[in-house]
Amino acid sequence: MRDKFLLAFRSIRARRTRSILTVLGIAVGIAAIVSLMSVGYGMEEAITGELTGMADIISVMPGKIMGATYVEMGGFTDRDVKDLQRIGGIKDISAMTYDAVEVEYRNERKPTFVLGGDTKELESFYVEPVGLKEGRWLRENDYKGCVIGDRVANDFFDEVIHVNDKLVINGEKFIVIGAFEKGDMLYANDVDRNIFLTLRAAKEVLQTEEIKHIIVRVYDIDEAEEIAEEIEETINDNHGLDDFATAMTMGSMLEQIGDIFNIIRGVLVGIAAIALIVASIGIMNTMLMSVMERTHEIGVMKAIGAKSRDVLSLFLLESSMVSLVGGVAGCLLGWGVAKGLSFIGSTASGLEIAAIVKPGVLLGGIAVALIVGVLSGFYPARKASKMSPVEAVRYG
Amino acid sequence: MIRTENLTKVYRMGEVEVQALRDVNLEIQDSEFIAIIGPSGSGKSTLLNLIGCLDKPTSGAVFIDGIDTGKLSENGLAEIRREKIGFIFQQFNLIHTLNALENVALPMFFAGMRHETRMERAEELLAKVGLGDRIHHKPSELSGGEQQRMAIARALSNDPEIIIGDEPTGNIDTEAGKVIMDILEGLNREGRTIIVVTHDAEIAARAGRTKRMRDGKVLD
Ligand SMILES: Nc1ncnc2c1ncn2[C@@H]1O[C@H](COP(=O)(O)OP(=O)(O)OP(=O)(O)O)[C@@H](O)[C@H]1O
Ligand SMILES: [Mg+2]
Repeated sequence: MRDKFLLAFRSIRARRTRSILTVLGIAVGIAAIVSLMSVGYGMEEAITGELTGMADIISVMPGKIMGATYVEMGGFTDRDVKDLQRIGGIKDISAMTYDAVEVEYRNERKPTFVLGGDTKELESFYVEPVGLKEGRWLRENDYKGCVIGDRVANDFFDEVIHVNDKLVINGEKFIVIGAFEKGDMLYANDVDRNIFLTLRAAKEVLQTEEIKHIIVRVYDIDEAEEIAEEIEETINDNHGLDDFATAMTMGSMLEQIGDIFNIIRGVLVGIAAIALIVASIGIMNTMLMSVMERTHEIGVMKAIGAKSRDVLSLFLLESSMVSLVGGVAGCLLGWGVAKGLSFIGSTASGLEIAAIVKPGVLLGGIAVALIVGVLSGFYPARKASKMSPVEAVRYG
Repeated sequence: MIRTENLTKVYRMGEVEVQALRDVNLEIQDSEFIAIIGPSGSGKSTLLNLIGCLDKPTSGAVFIDGIDTGKLSENGLAEIRREKIGFIFQQFNLIHTLNALENVALPMFFAGMRHETRMERAEELLAKVGLGDRIHHKPSELSGGEQQRMAIARALSNDPEIIIGDEPTGNIDTEAGKVIMDILEGLNREGRTIIVVTHDAEIAARAGRTKRMRDGKVLD
């Protein structure tokens, strides 16, 4: 056995250029599969990971979703909030209000949105996932303080707004005590163009007692759907309409996003399948060539007394060694490419996408290299070993 | 003893049939040194390939030591080639990725011999053909005559009774060819049967018996 390895190794080394090319051909194919799948997993994880962290949330809005548009029906009242507190299984309730406002900064006026709510709730909903770039978050008694989204700070006005700068919102003065990081995919619209106030300050600035958004947290995620229905009924009863409120669980939001996901996943699987086919054809081609080139050698071996299976086992050993090296090299290369792609992707889009290189994908890559490599080496080797020695010796 | 019985080989290429051998009946005794001569295309190589079990006849039979080789399986034929016959080609047909020692040891590897035994014997055989100081050289680093001597050492590795050479001196110069013939004569004196095809009358003259071929037939 040791001699077989030595013999196979000899012939691989003696045909250095051909062997390197074969290994390279296999490696590139495997790298394509590994990197694409890893980036795909990374994208999926980036989106679902964030959403599943908020699976206990029910978002309640005073309006209904009709197709792709949201139609606002009015606002919630304090009574709605009180009634919700009587529903079982709810951990806490946070009422928010928001509306369009006009903001003035150094004599420049721009339209934007104000969002006010329980500071603790807003903190867990916005500050924890997005993070602050500057300053600190609001406290309940920061009645004249505000925290601003990234676009408000950097894009809206000619001059960039920093902590301690003063803004005038609908005629009232506020001092900036914090600024958000740029929101990522999901939070971008919510966070970046908003100015966050305490609920009390927001109600005053917007001159309304109406609540535009209620966020409910439940104890048991499995009950979320039921509780959401109960919330809708309770509020609809209060307002005497049967479709005043829309309560959406994260689960149902996930489902909606899930469709998009299935498309992305389908595309990725398609690309991986194409990569697999291209890789397999490449591996087959190089293996076929490198074994066929040696029909003469196979003939000589048979002429001096080798049985077909002696020849076959030698060539199988050789092609599995080459395939294994190619597979491992391909995995390393694919790993590197995946990391590189996700780095370029992240810096270009500002989204946090970390490629996820799963051990299963690496093992699969090596398995594909071995299976395709050995099978495509096996076919010409078997054909050559079945030839009569004279025929094979004459070859080439 | 080697005996052929109505040995016939027809090559078929599409519509065209080539009668390479026609009903050849030939007997070669143990320890004989026989030379086969004849014009190009007369069927000399075809005959040697059939005797050497490298190819199968269209009809007729080859008996080696009383065994009808036509009745043997692929593996059985491989064993005959490995144990009873040493074949020497005009083009040497050495494995160019292996050095002299490994080339000579290869048939013993297929015979399942131990590594140490193989290497020892390969070294002895290389010394016997005058390549004792070339054992680690690759074929490409040697002259044609030296390569053919390496091929003879390889042919001898499983100690066969029969040595078959298809124009073994065809690709090397006269001087080196004489050395090859000396070696073959020596092997014949050891009791081995030697069958050689040649175009060289001088070489044919050194054989114990000469047979002439024409149009696929062995002449009397
Ligand atoms: N593989 C083959 N396919 C078709 N025809 C063949 C094949 N091998 C040999 N022949 C034909 O069979 C005949 C005998 O060929 P063979 O090689 O035995 O001749 P030879 O006596 O060895 O000639 P040379 O002295 O040139 O080597 C020739 O006509 C040749 O063309
Ligand atoms: Mg010939």
